[in-house]
Amino acid sequence: MIIAALEAVFLFATALMIAYLIRHYIFTLAVLRRNKRDRNPVAADANYEPTVSILLPARDEEKVIERLLQRMTELTYPHHKLQVIAIDDASSDTTGNIADEFPKRHSFIEVLHRDEKTGGKGKAAAMNAGLKLATGEIVLCFDADYYPQRDIVEKLVRAFVDPSVGAVQGRPVVWNEAQNAVTRLVTLERIGGYRVDQEARDNLGLIPQFGGTTGGFRRSILEDLGGFDESMLTEDTDLTFQIYLAGFKVRYVGDAECYEEAVDNWKAYWRQRHRWTRGHMQVCFKHTPRVLRSKKLNAKEKIDGLLLLHVYFMPVLTLVASVAGVSLIIAHSSQLINALWLFMPLSFYSIIGNFAPFFEIGIGAYLDGRTRIQWLIPLLLFAYLYNVLICTKAFLDLCVAKILRRSQSDWAKTHHVGDGNCYIEN
Amino acid sequence: MISNLIAIIIIIIAAPTLILITFLPALIELKKPKDGGPRRITVGISEVGHDLPIVNMEEEQKFDSSLVQTMAKVISFLPSLEI
Repeated sequence: MIIAALEAVFLFATALMIAYLIRHYIFTLAVLRRNKRDRNPVAADANYEPTVSILLPARDEEKVIERLLQRMTELTYPHHKLQVIAIDDASSDTTGNIADEFPKRHSFIEVLHRDEKTGGKGKAAAMNAGLKLATGEIVLCFDADYYPQRDIVEKLVRAFVDPSVGAVQGRPVVWNEAQNAVTRLVTLERIGGYRVDQEARDNLGLIPQFGGTTGGFRRSILEDLGGFDESMLTEDTDLTFQIYLAGFKVRYVGDAECYEEAVDNWKAYWRQRHRWTRGHMQVCFKHTPRVLRSKKLNAKEKIDGLLLLHVYFMPVLTLVASVAGVSLIIAHSSQLINALWLFMPLSFYSIIGNFAPFFEIGIGAYLDGRTRIQWLIPLLLFAYLYNVLICTKAFLDLCVAKILRRSQSDWAKTHHVGDGNCYIEN
Repeated sequence: MISNLIAIIIIIIAAPTLILITFLPALIELKKPKDGGPRRITVGISEVGHDLPIVNMEEEQKFDSSLVQTMAKVISFLPSLEI
C-alpha cells in the first residue's frame, strides 16, 4: 500500500517535470526560430503618444533614488505628457529629502510622502497610493534601483495602440554582474527568464508575465480592478492574471531594456526569492480555480497559466520525488520506477536557474551575443539546490500561516547599495 | 573480489574527474572572467549605453566655461586680422 502510494507520487512528480521540460524546449525552439524574423512585432503608430504616469516606489533608497530621478529628467518622451511620481514610502533615511529636490527644477516630477502610519506596508500599498495621484492614460513603474533607457517610455507605450493590451513588460538587465558569483548567477537566470522565456510566451500567444517594474498598464483597467491587491506579496503576478481574466493581455517588449541591481549575496537572494515564492504561491491559490473556470482564456493560455502558477511548487516536488524515489529503491520497487530515475537528473537540471533550464539560459546568452558567461551554467546547480530549500521553507511558512490564520504578507525589502554600475565604469 | 576492487577504483577516479570536468570551466570563468560583460542597452539604434555613469551637469558646465575663458585668452593674444 505504502509502496503503491510512493510510486504514484513519484510517477506524478516525474510526469510534471517532463511536462515543464517539454514546455521549455518549446520556448527555446520558438525563440530560435523567431529570432531571424521580426523578433517582437507590436502594433506601431507614430502618432500614438498617450499621457504617461511613472510610479517610483522607494523605501530607504537614498543610495539610488537620485540616479533614477535624474534619469527621469533625461527621458526622451515629451515631458508635457509625462508625470513622474516618486513615492517615499515612510523612509527612515534621506530618500524623501533627495526626491524633494527634483520637483523644484522639473514640473513634471511630484513626490508623495507616506508616513509610518500610512506607509511601509509593502509595494502594492505604495503603488495604490501613487495610483490615486496618477493622471496618465498609461501607468509605468520602475523600482528605485533601476536605470532605464532614455527612450524606454516610447518603446513600452507603443504596445498599447492595440486596445486588447492591458499591460506591458520590458526587459531588466543586470548591471552589477561582475560584482561576484551571486550576481553572475542571477544574470544567467535573468537571461533565461527574459531573453527566452518571456519572449517565447509573447511570440506563442501565451501568458507573458508583468514583472511589477520596467513595465506598465492601462490606468483604467487597474482602477476597474480596484487597484493592486495589497494582501499579495507579488502584486505583479496577481495583476498579470487579473488582466487576463478580465479579457486583456500582457505584451513583452524585449527591446525596452532597463538596468537593475541584482542581489549580491546569498542572504539577500534568500530573502528576495522567499518573498517571490510565497507571493507566487498565494497567487496560485487565488487564481487556479479562476483560470480553470475562465471563459476569456483559450486552451493554450489556460495550460500555460496553470504551469506558470504552479512553477514555484516544482522545487518542492523534486524534493518529494527524490525522497519517494530513494525509498522505492530501498524497497526494491518495480523496474518502471527504476527506469524513471533516469529522468531525475535531467529534470533536476531542467528547472535550475529560477526555473529556466540550462539549455534555455545557454541559448539566451548566445542570442545576447555573450561569449563566456555560459561557462558558469554548471554553478546554477547550487542555486537550484538553494531554491529547493527556499521554496520548501516558503511553502511550509504559507501552510503554517494558513493554519494559524496569520498574515501572509510580511514584506521583506531588498537592500540596494547603488554601486551597481561598477562594470560599466570599468 | 578483484572486479569489485576495480569498480571501486574506477568510481574513486571517475567521480572527482566528472566533477572537475563539470565545474572547471565555470571556475576558470569565475576566476578570470573573459565575457564581454552585461548587455549595453541602447537608445534607438546608434547610441550605446556606456554613458551610464550619472552626468554631473555642474562639472560639465565648469569645464565648458573654463574652456571658453581659455579660448578667449588665446584669441586676445592673436594679432588682429582686420585691415
